[in-house]
Amino acid sequence: MSTTPGTPTHGEPGWSARPVRHLYVHVPFCASKCEYCAFYSEASEGELVNRYVRALITELGIVANELAPETVFFGGGTPTLLNCRQWEQVLDALHRLGLDRPAEWTVECNPATLSLDKARLLRERGVNRVSMGVQSLDEDLLDRLGRVHSRDMAFRSYDILRQAGFDNVNLDLMFAIPGQSLETWQRTLTEALAMQSEHLSSYEVIYEEDTPLYVQLKAGRFDVDEDLACEMYDLLVSTARDRGFQQYEVANFASGAVGADGLASRVCRHNVAYWRGRSFHAVGPSASGFVGGVRTRNRANTRLYCDTLEQGERAIDQRDELPPLARAAEIAGFGLRMNLGWPFADFVAATGFDLREEWGDDLRWLVDQGWGELLSDRFRLTDTGLRFADQVIERLLRPEQS
Amino acid sequence: MDRARIRNFSIIAHIDHGKTTLSDRLLHRTGTISDRDMQNQLLDSMDLERERGITIKAHPVTMYYTALDGERYELNLIDTPGHVDFAYEVSRSLSACEGALLIVDAAQGVEAQTVANVHLAMKQDLAIIPLINKIDLPHANVDLVRRQLEDILAIPGEDAIACSAKEGIGIEEILEAIVHRVPAPKETGANSLQALVVDSVYNTFKGVVNYIRVFTGELRAGMNARLYHSGRTVEIKEVGSFNPKPYTRDCLTAGETGYFTANIKSPSDVKMGDSLLDARNPAPPLSGFHEVHPMVFSGIYPIDASDYEHLKVNLAKLQLNDAAFQYQAESSVALGFGFRCGFLGLLHMEIVQERLRREYDMDIIATYPSVIYRVQLTDGEWHEIDNPVFLPEPTFIEQIEEPMVKAFIMCPNDNIGDMLALVSEKRGLLDHTETLDSTRVMMICRLPLNEILIDFHDRIKSITRGYGSMDYEHDGYEASDMVKLDMLVNTDSVDAFSSIVHRTKAEGRGRALAAKLKEVIPRQQFAVAIQAAIGGKIVARETVRAFRKDVTAKCYGGDITRKRKLLEKQKEGKKRMKSIGSVNIPQEAFIAVLKA
Repeated sequence: MSTTPGTPTHGEPGWSARPVRHLYVHVPFCASKCEYCAFYSEASEGELVNRYVRALITELGIVANELAPETVFFGGGTPTLLNCRQWEQVLDALHRLGLDRPAEWTVECNPATLSLDKARLLRERGVNRVSMGVQSLDEDLLDRLGRVHSRDMAFRSYDILRQAGFDNVNLDLMFAIPGQSLETWQRTLTEALAMQSEHLSSYEVIYEEDTPLYVQLKAGRFDVDEDLACEMYDLLVSTARDRGFQQYEVANFASGAVGADGLASRVCRHNVAYWRGRSFHAVGPSASGFVGGVRTRNRANTRLYCDTLEQGERAIDQRDELPPLARAAEIAGFGLRMNLGWPFADFVAATGFDLREEWGDDLRWLVDQGWGELLSDRFRLTDTGLRFADQVIERLLRPEQS
Repeated sequence: MDRARIRNFSIIAHIDHGKTTLSDRLLHRTGTISDRDMQNQLLDSMDLERERGITIKAHPVTMYYTALDGERYELNLIDTPGHVDFAYEVSRSLSACEGALLIVDAAQGVEAQTVANVHLAMKQDLAIIPLINKIDLPHANVDLVRRQLEDILAIPGEDAIACSAKEGIGIEEILEAIVHRVPAPKETGANSLQALVVDSVYNTFKGVVNYIRVFTGELRAGMNARLYHSGRTVEIKEVGSFNPKPYTRDCLTAGETGYFTANIKSPSDVKMGDSLLDARNPAPPLSGFHEVHPMVFSGIYPIDASDYEHLKVNLAKLQLNDAAFQYQAESSVALGFGFRCGFLGLLHMEIVQERLRREYDMDIIATYPSVIYRVQLTDGEWHEIDNPVFLPEPTFIEQIEEPMVKAFIMCPNDNIGDMLALVSEKRGLLDHTETLDSTRVMMICRLPLNEILIDFHDRIKSITRGYGSMDYEHDGYEASDMVKLDMLVNTDSVDAFSSIVHRTKAEGRGRALAAKLKEVIPRQQFAVAIQAAIGGKIVARETVRAFRKDVTAKCYGGDITRKRKLLEKQKEGKKRMKSIGSVNIPQEAFIAVLKA
């Protein structure tokens, strides 16, 4: 081939397209810090939260003209920790900037922080999906994780959401928590599914450095039982499928009819955009965005973030730029976390590269391993392959200097 | 300089007894180096030498000293490598001298290496000037050391000079002793040039630079000279001495030391210990020459096969300044193309491997070291085997002989029991014990070389909490019941893990190795069976369990960059592993095997 390596061979990559269709908003405050969490968050202090709200609105103003959001996602931290007045300011700003009519608008909440008034406010102003961080329905394990809510609060908050008119709710559940038995996991899973949410996210505890859980693990306070974690994952996948959920990604399950795109109607479109390598703006302290092929990260410290925005500038302090082929490789890998895999045409549209040309050897290797399946229109991972998604990504990655 | 006012001497000492400090002190006191240049350890030019406190290259230095008798003397210090691995180099340096300063640490007393070095010096008939160094230390016990000198080494204790090289105490007395107790160089009776090639280094501009001691006649630039044992005649381009930097001289005369160059391109063209003679009128060669033979062998392989050429170039560079190091190309089923390398001993091997890794930045794998076994086949023929891979099938073997050493082990009385247990664990026999003083003994033992290759010295240090020491000399061959131990990874025999061991130890070592490999081989996507086999019979088995899954964690927009970077690092790490069959084996596994 005569083309230089690293240049898209099949047209402009999707990440160059404008306007940007997805928006992430980070709310960095938490009532307390969970044992497993490495996310940037801080305890909320009244005045700092107000300052944050003003800075956030400034940042939204800066990116608004590049945006025409199909999805908006408020994550954290604990977005529902903002009080109603602060929420109104944010919601007013989104409205003024024309960002408040996305097809999917999710706000994360913690069971202990949700009042009916707040839920109603969000619903009335256009939020149409809530993701609730339940994590477990076992009191002991909730304590173990350092969560502030109780099992009863989870049920109560869920009822509040339904009462406020939310008909698209996700429950977050964790498994392989230290001290969790297969039985406790089965009970939590059964009880959570009985709540009949539209969506389920469920993932294994990860031990990230700088978290109390990691320190305890390294100190030998408990062991990781891989076999048990495997059984829990198997139980999750089979139970969710039995209840009519479609597993559409390693850790995500959705209900609803399967559409022409092969996805159940209640999938989180915002997260799908991440895995498909689409551009998204991200605002708020420590938020990571992806626009024009470059991943950026905002300053993590809320005060410094506010300082910068009070000067009228965005607070980006990290830029991760990659040559097109390396970026495409990353997108190839992370996209295969979806059960659908990569339709070849979609991959070309997203990156400008053909999966079969650039990664032909790797795809064959994956098929030989029993990890991959080559179909006429796409490549996808098998059930076994999905369990090794990290190693698949590692294999597909291309060195930065090519 | 008049031969009568030349003194050639060496310094011999146990490691850390202060040899380098004394050398520097002598150079400083004679004005050879200035205060400003007096950096520590001037003569040890390689970092590794400094780190390990040993000298590998023998580097002669000329000093001028005006003695109390008013005469000006030329003192030539011919440095020696301290370690017994380099015994031949030591004896070569010693044979260029008439005297030796023997340093003994006033607090530590006589050590194993002291004994071995004194034996070498006595064989050369050198005048020995004992020095009791570090008398400034609080634990110094000069009287005790004097008694040890007499009891162990048969050197009159009252001859010893008490000194502190660090504090500059007794330096004058030492210089006077060199002048008065070391004999002036003697005539050999020959009627033309006789010079001894002590060592050589490679210089990019001049080619091989040879360090020499002239015994008879004189050596001038322009002369045609004959290297007797290598059978080459060369034209001398340059002669000179060191002060301690090299400087050119018109000629080197009888009794003097220095260097010469002669457009010699490759160090292998010069044999260490060779005699340099006048080509037109050659005198008889000097006695004592013998070829250097490596005693320990190990394969060195690049981790990345594409580094093979690079490794080859670097081995050649290393050899330029280390004529005792030998290598030749070989290939391994498991490791691909590499080199079989021969070393004088274990320390020598470690130094070469370390230099390749550090100075040349090479990622290498070294295989389990082997000694040379003499193998007699059933047809009566004898073979020398230095690589387990080439050991014939047992049915073809009549008998195997292994090299033995005579070891001098010094240890505190309290540790005699543990030390005897160690010697017997290593298949050694105690020959006899000598009492050093009220607290220490010297055990003289006979052991197989193969048993002291790996951890013997470390074990002695740990049993005696650092107080013990050991040195050895080669002591012939002995018939022994040796077998080949193979390690199989998923049924593939990994030749790099193979070793020749005594039958009584094979099974235990097999089990230990299998357990060790289980620890260091990372889990893969399939189970990995690790087996130890003796002559096809499996004696141990361990299994590295398969991964059942990765952590099935969430992964959203903000997680991608960090996760990608983590995976990039993992991918990079795997490149540094060696694939054997479909199993990735990290470099650490090969090192762990050495230590198992």
